[in-house]
Amino acid sequence: MALEAIYVQVLALILFSIGLIVAIARRNVFFVLMGVEIALNAVNLSFVGFAKTLPADLSIAGQIVPLFSIAIAAAEACVGLAMVILIFRNRESVDADTYSNMKG
Amino acid sequence: MLALIYFIILAVLAVGSALCVLLSRHPLYGALSLVLSMLSLAGIYGLLGSPFIGVVQVMVYAGAIMMLLTFVIMVLNGARDSKTPMFDGVSLFVIPGVIVLAALVGFVLVRTPMAIDETTLRGSVALTSRTLFDVAQTGPGYFVLFEILGLLLLSSMAAAVLLAKKRLGSVDSDDKEEK
Repeated sequence: MALEAIYVQVLALILFSIGLIVAIARRNVFFVLMGVEIALNAVNLSFVGFAKTLPADLSIAGQIVPLFSIAIAAAEACVGLAMVILIFRNRESVDADTYSNMKG
Repeated sequence: MLALIYFIILAVLAVGSALCVLLSRHPLYGALSLVLSMLSLAGIYGLLGSPFIGVVQVMVYAGAIMMLLTFVIMVLNGARDSKTPMFDGVSLFVIPGVIVLAALVGFVLVRTPMAIDETTLRGSVALTSRTLFDVAQTGPGYFVLFEILGLLLLSSMAAAVLLAKKRLGSVDSDDKEEK
């Protein structure tokens, strides 16, 4: 018994599913942002896990790209939280269902 | 064998704290469980042989992003309206849908043959920096992406400041401030 590549992918899949459920099903807008973060983390883990299945030089790309995706996640969290502050100031509510200004 | 034991411990921690995020009522508890989940993921990166990504995960995710999130939750006092229900009717359809999706993808994953390659390179600081800042014309060119990322972070910071600041010039905001 040793660490297999498939275990990492299954863990990434479980975390991605939990993140997706949190992002879609929870109503509190902070939990929506946290769910997106969990899903992004799972994708990074999947990147690294797949990179480890490749031989020598091919395995570098999969270990560089997660750095970029972490930086993108930082930018996303920054803008997302600024929008939450802006909406919260107008609405006084964290319930995502009450943000219905742009409802078609 | 030892690697597998460490992996199982860290994986159980990561999934358990992610479930805590799903089930916790107070956003602050959710944020703290999320920090634990990210720290155990950083441990898994180290275990897989990408220590640099693990360190970046600790610094950027568990450090910076979660600090920002916790700070905003505390500033806005996000638990103030605790009467909001955690789930609603849509969740009844979302949760089985996501589980079915995960089962389909998991089926494909389990059927796919893959194994950890012996010759795979360890993503150490030296290798990562050498690849990332390889400015040779025949190189991979990640440094261009790196520069663009700096611009993206700068612009997102400017956007966040513009979005979140009080409207200084407008009369309305001044009136509200005084009340």
